[in-house]
Amino acid sequence: MAEFRPIDVNARFIGIGEYYVGGDAMTTIGLGSCIALILHDERHGVGAMAHVMLPESKGQTDRPGKYADTALVTLLEGLGAFGSRNGSIRAKMVGGANMFGFNDNNLNIGERNIEAVHNALKEKRIFLDAEDVGGKVGRSVIYNPKAGGEIVVRRADGVCAEL
Amino acid sequence: MKLTEIQADALGELGNIGAAHAATTLSQMLMSNIEMDVPAVDIIDIAQFYKCVGDEKVALVVFRIKGEVEGEGFVVVTMPLASAIRMTNTMLGMDDMDREINEMDQSAIIEIGNIMVSAFLDATAGLLGIVMLPSPPALCIDMAHAGMEALIAEVAMETNDVVIFRTNLTSGEHAIDGTILMFLTPEMLGNLLSLLEALTSQGM
Repeated sequence: MAEFRPIDVNARFIGIGEYYVGGDAMTTIGLGSCIALILHDERHGVGAMAHVMLPESKGQTDRPGKYADTALVTLLEGLGAFGSRNGSIRAKMVGGANMFGFNDNNLNIGERNIEAVHNALKEKRIFLDAEDVGGKVGRSVIYNPKAGGEIVVRRADGVCAEL
Repeated sequence: MKLTEIQADALGELGNIGAAHAATTLSQMLMSNIEMDVPAVDIIDIAQFYKCVGDEKVALVVFRIKGEVEGEGFVVVTMPLASAIRMTNTMLGMDDMDREINEMDQSAIIEIGNIMVSAFLDATAGLLGIVMLPSPPALCIDMAHAGMEALIAEVAMETNDVVIFRTNLTSGEHAIDGTILMFLTPEMLGNLLSLLEALTSQGM
C-alpha cells in the first residue's frame, strides 16, 4: 500500500512555479489545475520536478518552472549537468484538473496545461511513462529519485496510489 | 510589489466592512452570533502559497468579481467539511453529523456563499461608490490548495504576486468555521486603491 505523509517526509516542497533538480525527495501538495512535471533518470538516480501553472511563457523568463514550455527545457538543462541524456530520461505528470467543472476556456487552465506539457515532451522526444491527469480532483505528489523513481499520488479522499 | 501602511490599512478597512456585512447575513441565517477576526491583507509570492493553504479537504465556493472595476478578482468562501455539515444541520434543524457531505449540503453551501458574498461585494462597492457583483457561484469539494490554484493561475498570469485578503468567521455556539478570501490581480488592487485614495482625499 502506497503511503503519503508529506509532513513526515523530509522532502523538498516545490511551490507554484518552482522547480528542483537533484537526488533529494521532492513533493508538491494540492495540485489543482497545475501540473507536476517529473523527469526521472534511472541510470543516474536523479530527477527533476516543476510545478507548472500555465501553458505558455509568452517571453517571460523570470520563473521557468511556471510555464510548460520553459519548465521542460529548464529541467532538461538541469539534468544535463548530472550527465543525463534525453535517451535515459522518462517523464511522468500529475495534475491538470478542472476543479470547478467549468467548460469555458477561462477557468479550464488544467486542460490547456496538460496539452502544453504533452506537446513540449513530444517536441523534445521525451518518453511519457505515466500520467495521472485531468478530472475534477486535487492531487498531492511525492517523488523520490533514489527509490527507483517511485512516485506516490494522494487524492483529496486520502486514497494513495503509486504512479 | 509592496503596500504602504496607509494602503494596507485602507484595504483592511474596506475588507472589514465587506466581511462585517457577510457575517451579519450568516448570523441571520444561522440565528446565532458570528465572531469575526481582524481581516488580513497580504501580498504573497505564488511559490509560497502552499505555506498559507494546505491540502486538507474543504468546501469552496468561488465567485468572480464583476462590475465597474478593471482587472480580475475572486471572492471565495471556504469551510472545513465538518463545519459545512454542521451549518446545514443548524439551518435545517438536523443533528446527524455522522454522514458524508451530500447534495443538500452542497446546495446550502452555494446558497449561503451567494448571500454572504453578495453582501460582501455590495458593502465594499457601496463604500467605493461603484457597482460590484458576484458571478454565478462555482463549488468545489476538494483540497483547499488545489481549488485555489486555478484562481491563482488567473490572477498571477503576468506577475508572481497575488493579493490575498482573508478573514475568518466563527459561530462558537455551533462550532462552524469559515473563511472569506479575496484574490486580486495587481491591476484590480491598483484600481481599488485609487478609488480608496479618492475617498480619503475627500475627507472621509
